[in-house]
Amino acid sequence: MTDFLNLILEPLQEVFAKFRTFMPNLLAMLVILSMGILAARVLRAVLVRFLMAIKFDSWSDRMGVTTLLRKGDLWAKPSLALGAIFFWSLIILVLMTGLSALKVHAIDQLVEQFFLYLPRVFSAVLILIIGYVFAGFVSRAVLIAAVNSGYHYAKLLAEALRLLLTILILAMVLEQLQVAPGIVLAAFSIVFGGIVIALAISFGVAGIDAAKRMIERETAEKHAKDTKDDIEHL
Amino acid sequence: MKTVAFRKDVQEQLERIQQADIVVGIPSFNNARTIGHVVRAIQAGIAKYFPDRKCVLVNSDGGSVDDTLEIVRRTSIEDYASIHLHHRVEPMFKIATPYSGIPGKGSAFRTIFEVAEALDAKVCVVVDSDLRSITPEWIELLVKPVLEDGYDYAAPLYHRHKYDGTITNSIVYPLTRALYGKRVRQPIGGDFGFSGKLAKFYLTKDVWQTDVARFGIDIWMTTTAIANRYKVTQSFLGAKIHDAKDPSADLSAMLYQVVGATFELMETYDDIWKPVRGSEPVTTFGFEYTVGLEQVNVNTGRMLNIFREGLKNLSKIWTDILGAGDFGEVERLGALQDRNFRFPPGLWTRVIYDYAITFHKKKLPKEHLIKSLTPLYLGRTASFIMEVEQMGQEEVEGEIEKLCTEFEYNKEYLVTSWK
Repeated sequence: MTDFLNLILEPLQEVFAKFRTFMPNLLAMLVILSMGILAARVLRAVLVRFLMAIKFDSWSDRMGVTTLLRKGDLWAKPSLALGAIFFWSLIILVLMTGLSALKVHAIDQLVEQFFLYLPRVFSAVLILIIGYVFAGFVSRAVLIAAVNSGYHYAKLLAEALRLLLTILILAMVLEQLQVAPGIVLAAFSIVFGGIVIALAISFGVAGIDAAKRMIERETAEKHAKDTKDDIEHL
Repeated sequence: MKTVAFRKDVQEQLERIQQADIVVGIPSFNNARTIGHVVRAIQAGIAKYFPDRKCVLVNSDGGSVDDTLEIVRRTSIEDYASIHLHHRVEPMFKIATPYSGIPGKGSAFRTIFEVAEALDAKVCVVVDSDLRSITPEWIELLVKPVLEDGYDYAAPLYHRHKYDGTITNSIVYPLTRALYGKRVRQPIGGDFGFSGKLAKFYLTKDVWQTDVARFGIDIWMTTTAIANRYKVTQSFLGAKIHDAKDPSADLSAMLYQVVGATFELMETYDDIWKPVRGSEPVTTFGFEYTVGLEQVNVNTGRMLNIFREGLKNLSKIWTDILGAGDFGEVERLGALQDRNFRFPPGLWTRVIYDYAITFHKKKLPKEHLIKSLTPLYLGRTASFIMEVEQMGQEEVEGEIEKLCTEFEYNKEYLVTSWK
C-alpha cells in the first residue's frame, strides 16, 4: 500500500519540486513583462513628445514620409507611427527577455535565434527605407532632366527606372532577410532579364510602328532644335 | 575666414607691388580669342582716365588650355598716341594666375578680392573676359563713382537686345527690386566696380563652397552690397556683346545656380527685405544713348514644347508648389495655341513667389525644385518674346516695368506666406 502511495506521490512531489524551481522564473518573467510594458509605454510617450518638439511631422511632410504612410493606408501622424513602431519593438524585446527568464531549453533556443536574426531585420528595414528614398530621388531627377531636354517619354522613363530600382531593392531586402535566397536570386534574374528582353522585343519586333513613330518624332524635334536659337538667358 | 594661398610667384609679385589704388580683375577660362581685347581696353581706360594711379590687372584663370594666360601677360598697347594719349603713363602691373577652389566665376572673383585686400586697393573692378564691346570708358564709369563720388558698388547698365537677359528681366531684376527696394537694372550684369572696403567685406563671408562660387556670384555681390546698406549706383556702359556663347551650356543648371543663389540670399536677409515696400531708383552715371544690336534668333516653338512637356509630366510637382488654383491657370495656358500663348505677369509673379516659399520650406531638394522651374520659365520667355516682337526698346522696358510692379504689388503674399 505504501509503495502504491509512493508511486502516486513521487511524481506529484517531483512536479511540485519542479514547480517550486520554476515559480521564481515565472515570477521573474511576469515582473520583466509588467515592468517592460510600463517602461515601453513611458519611453514611447517620451519619444513622441521629443519628435513633436523637433517638429518631426513637418519634416516628414517635407521629405515625403507622410505621403508614403498614406500610400500604405496608414493615417496616423508620422511621430505617432514611429512611437508605435518603437513601442512594439520594445514589447517584442521585453517578451523575448521575459521568456528567456523561464530558463526552458526550447524557449532559450528560440530566443537566441530571434536575437541572432534581429540584425538582419534592422539592415533590411534600413535598405528598404534608404532604397525607397533613393529610388524616388533618382526617378524625380531623371523626370525633370528629361522634361527639360524636351524628351517626350520622360514620365515613362522615370517610372521604368523607379520600377527597376524598386525590384532591385526588394530583392536586396529579401536576400538580407534570407527568405528563400535561391528563389529570390532566380526570380530577380528572371524578372530583370525578362524586362530587358521584353523591351528588346517590343522595340524590335512588336513595336516597330511605335518605335518608328518615336524615332520620327525625335528626329522632327531635333530639326526644330536645330533652328538657330541665339538667346542669352543670363 | 580661411584665405586663398597664393602661389609663390604671385606672393613675390604682391610683395614687390606692395600697394595699389585700382585693381582690375578678369576671370577667365579658355578665352584666348577675346581676352586680348579686354586687356587692351582696360589698359587704355587706366592710361586715359587714371594715369597717375597705381593699377594692377589680375587675371584669375580656371585652368585654360589655350593661351589665355600667355595672351594676358604679353598684351599691351604699343602706341598710346593712337588713343590720343601723350601724357606720362604709370606702368600697369599684371598678375595672371590660376585660382583654386570650386571651378567657377565666384572662385575666380575670390582670388581677385584677395589680391585687392593684399594690396589694400581703394577700388576694385571686375569685367568678363569674353566681352567684345568693352571700351576704355567702361573702366572710367565703373571706377569713378567709387573713387570720386563715395559709392561702394557700381553695377553695370547696358543696352541689350530685347530678347536677351531673360533670366534677369523675368526673375532676378523684378525679384531683387521688389525684395530690397532698389532699382538696380542689371543685378547680374557681370561687370562691376566696388570699393576695397566692400571687397574685404565679401571676403568675410563663408560662401565659397556654395553656388556663389559659380554663376551665383553676381547676384550675391549685388544683394550683399544692397542688404548691408552699402552705397549702390549704376553706370551706363552701352551695349553688351559677348563672344559666341557655349552651345552646351545647360539652361537649367544656369537657372539653378542663379535662382538658387537668389533664394539662398532671401533666407540670409529675410529680416532686411520683409519690411521693404515699393522701390526707389538708384543714381545712374554715364550718358545713355541708343545702340545698334545684333540680330537674335529665337525658337519659341521649342520653348513651348518644353513647357507643355513640363505640364504633362511635372503636374504633381507643380501642384505641390503652386497649389491647385495657380496650377489650374498654368494648365489652361497649355491648351492655348502657340500664337495665342500668353503667360500673364501676375501669374508669373505668383509662380516665382511660390517657388521661393517652397525653397524656404524645404519641401523638395533644392536642385529638383529649381530645375522644375525651367519649363515654366521657358513658357514665360516664349510669351514675352511673342508679346514684344513688334515693340521698340522703350516699350519693352515698359513691359518689364509692368512685371516689376506686379512683383512689388504681390509682395505681401510672399511676406505673409514666409513662416
